[in-house]
Amino acid sequence: MSGDMEQIYNERLKRYVAAMRNEKPDRIPIRPLAAEFCAAYAGYTCQQVTHDLDYAFDAVLKCCADFDWDAAVSNMVFVWTGSVDAINLKYYTKPGIDTPADSCFQYLEPKDDDAHMKEDEYDALIEDPTGYLANVWMPRVSRDVQPIGEPSTYRNNLAWLKGGMSVLQYFQRLGEQGARMKNETGTVSAIAGCLKSPFDIIADKLRGYRGLCMDLFTQPEKVLKAVDALAPHMMFNALAGADPDKNVPITIWMHRGCVPFLSLEQFERFYWPSLKAIVEEIWSQGHQILFYAEGDWNENLKYFAELPEQSIIFHVDKSDLFKAHEILGEKFCLSGGIPNELIAMGTPEEVKDYCKKVIDAAAQDGGFIMDAAAIMQDDAKIENVKAMTEFTREYGVY
Amino acid sequence: MSELSQLAQLINELKLAEVKSLASKMIEEGASAQDILVQCQEGMAEIGRRFDQGECFIPELVVAGKIMEAVMKDLEPLLKEAAATAEGSGAVVMGTVMNDVHDIGKDIVVMMLRGSGFRVIDLGVNVSPEKFVEAVKDNNPAVIGMSVLLTTCYQSISKTVEAIQQAGLRDHVSIMLGGAAATEILAQKTGCDFYGKTAMDAVVYASQRSKAA
Ligand code: B12
Repeated sequence: MSGDMEQIYNERLKRYVAAMRNEKPDRIPIRPLAAEFCAAYAGYTCQQVTHDLDYAFDAVLKCCADFDWDAAVSNMVFVWTGSVDAINLKYYTKPGIDTPADSCFQYLEPKDDDAHMKEDEYDALIEDPTGYLANVWMPRVSRDVQPIGEPSTYRNNLAWLKGGMSVLQYFQRLGEQGARMKNETGTVSAIAGCLKSPFDIIADKLRGYRGLCMDLFTQPEKVLKAVDALAPHMMFNALAGADPDKNVPITIWMHRGCVPFLSLEQFERFYWPSLKAIVEEIWSQGHQILFYAEGDWNENLKYFAELPEQSIIFHVDKSDLFKAHEILGEKFCLSGGIPNELIAMGTPEEVKDYCKKVIDAAAQDGGFIMDAAAIMQDDAKIENVKAMTEFTREYGVY
Repeated sequence: MSELSQLAQLINELKLAEVKSLASKMIEEGASAQDILVQCQEGMAEIGRRFDQGECFIPELVVAGKIMEAVMKDLEPLLKEAAATAEGSGAVVMGTVMNDVHDIGKDIVVMMLRGSGFRVIDLGVNVSPEKFVEAVKDNNPAVIGMSVLLTTCYQSISKTVEAIQQAGLRDHVSIMLGGAAATEILAQKTGCDFYGKTAMDAVVYASQRSKAA
């Protein structure tokens, strides 16, 4: 790495980390969670970046080089067909195969009566979560993995082997990509380690949200036990991928815990206690957590204010940024808040005006990171992303 | 709102077993299926109203939807097809636009419309413009409603409106748009007649249009 690049990288890292610790850096760091946008910008289809990591990484590097972001995600198009194919996974659609080449991969939620976990399987999950996932869940989500008790097949054996290899390969490549970003463009790899709340994982990947809603009424005690049983596994998983230098945060992708997906009463009972304990434990080990709070969490903000100072960075999607600043700004850094609709359909002037409003209201004392509200897909207009970036670089100087 | 019947109240309280047994008792005692349906709809409408007021949330709606599903299974054989169309109120075609598979919000709209007595043709998710057109031809609804959650699917809306236009049906049907990615401006730009922020807006608009039609 050239001396210049190293200096640029160090400056950016310092800026990014200072903001995340709710301090005042030299200027507002810019850290877009840019997914299929990178492909569109680099001239690739969604199919290319989903199938071939070389294209995906190349697209991100092009954006890093041209936009001069402080930090970026090494590959926000996080589904790689290689892993999907290795175990013949059912629940992702593949661009160019299941859907048009210019559409992004999609997670398919099964029909209610076809959930990956059945309503009478809580005891098995609670007793041995990993055993349940390997023996019961995997054969349901993979076309190749055989259920326990069925004769093993060649495909079954290879699925486990190839699946393990593909994950190793992916993570090794991600590491290399992080190093390339650092060396070639001086960009910080923005996040490391992945967390989900136990409630969300049951809703998204096991019972389905609607199935889980029924369970809240028909077997609430089992749901509570399952949430507790999964918590240590979620935490282990997050820490296993975390940044050993403890600079960049673990990210939690928060899906369906806010009003109206749960009432506050349900949130207090089923969602929050286990998640709060996980956050506190992870923070006690020195890692921050980026709360990627999808949707509108206005009603739930007061709970997050209970968390230890600096333990999280709160990302604003549809939540009210000004309210979030008021309730959380003293303790935590905020990020995001620039509406994707505006980036997709507005003009550069409109984007700049919005950024100004946000910076004026929520970034005066530091503790703010510029980003779109949600992950940027290929509908984000290049000139608008440019406007957000350039405006912040000028106007965001402290 | 006038006082709820016992059946409607049980639905409102999410008492699945009690609803089922009361409904079968009512059938045995000679109540008409149509009558029971109307009472169930009252219960659903009340839950919808509470949702709109922030007094209950999606889990309650999901459970109510399951209860309604269970009751309908018992009632369907008894309901003559024509009777399923609650008197006067028209049909509404609903669907999530092409390439979008989010249906939680759309299902709430469907539920609340049904609760208000509309005959709803639910086309599901990832609905192509052609499918919308066919459904309009087949059912002659006063209103169609599109739900959109992804900004990447804006094109699907305009394509659907165009397809309806090209089929010569545009003057016969009002088009409403909703879902988390929809906005007033988007509705205008894509040629829809109405943008609704909530499921209740859909009910209010559909009621106005069916009266006008
Ligand atoms: C649940 C969810 C999913 C579930 C959907 C499950 C299901 N069966 O619906 C799953 C996991 C499958 C999913 C998949 C994806 N999702 Co999604 N998802 C969500 C989430 C968290 C909630 C949506 C929801 O149900 N809201 C609750 C309902 C009640 O609200 P609503 O739909 O707005 O409906 C209300 C009103 O709008 C109104 N209404 C609704 N329809 C209509 C219609 C009319 C006519 C009227 C008048 C009113 C009306 O009535 C309702 C009640 O008042 C949102 C984030 C969020 N919190 O909004 C992301 C979100 C919509 N998803 C997103 C994305 C990116 C995706 C994926 C592409 C991710 C991926 N790569 O896999 C895929 C795409 C799949 C596809 N092709 O559609 C993004 C979209 C970003 C963007 N640029 O637009 C969002 C915003 C998340 C984010 N912040 O990044 N998702």
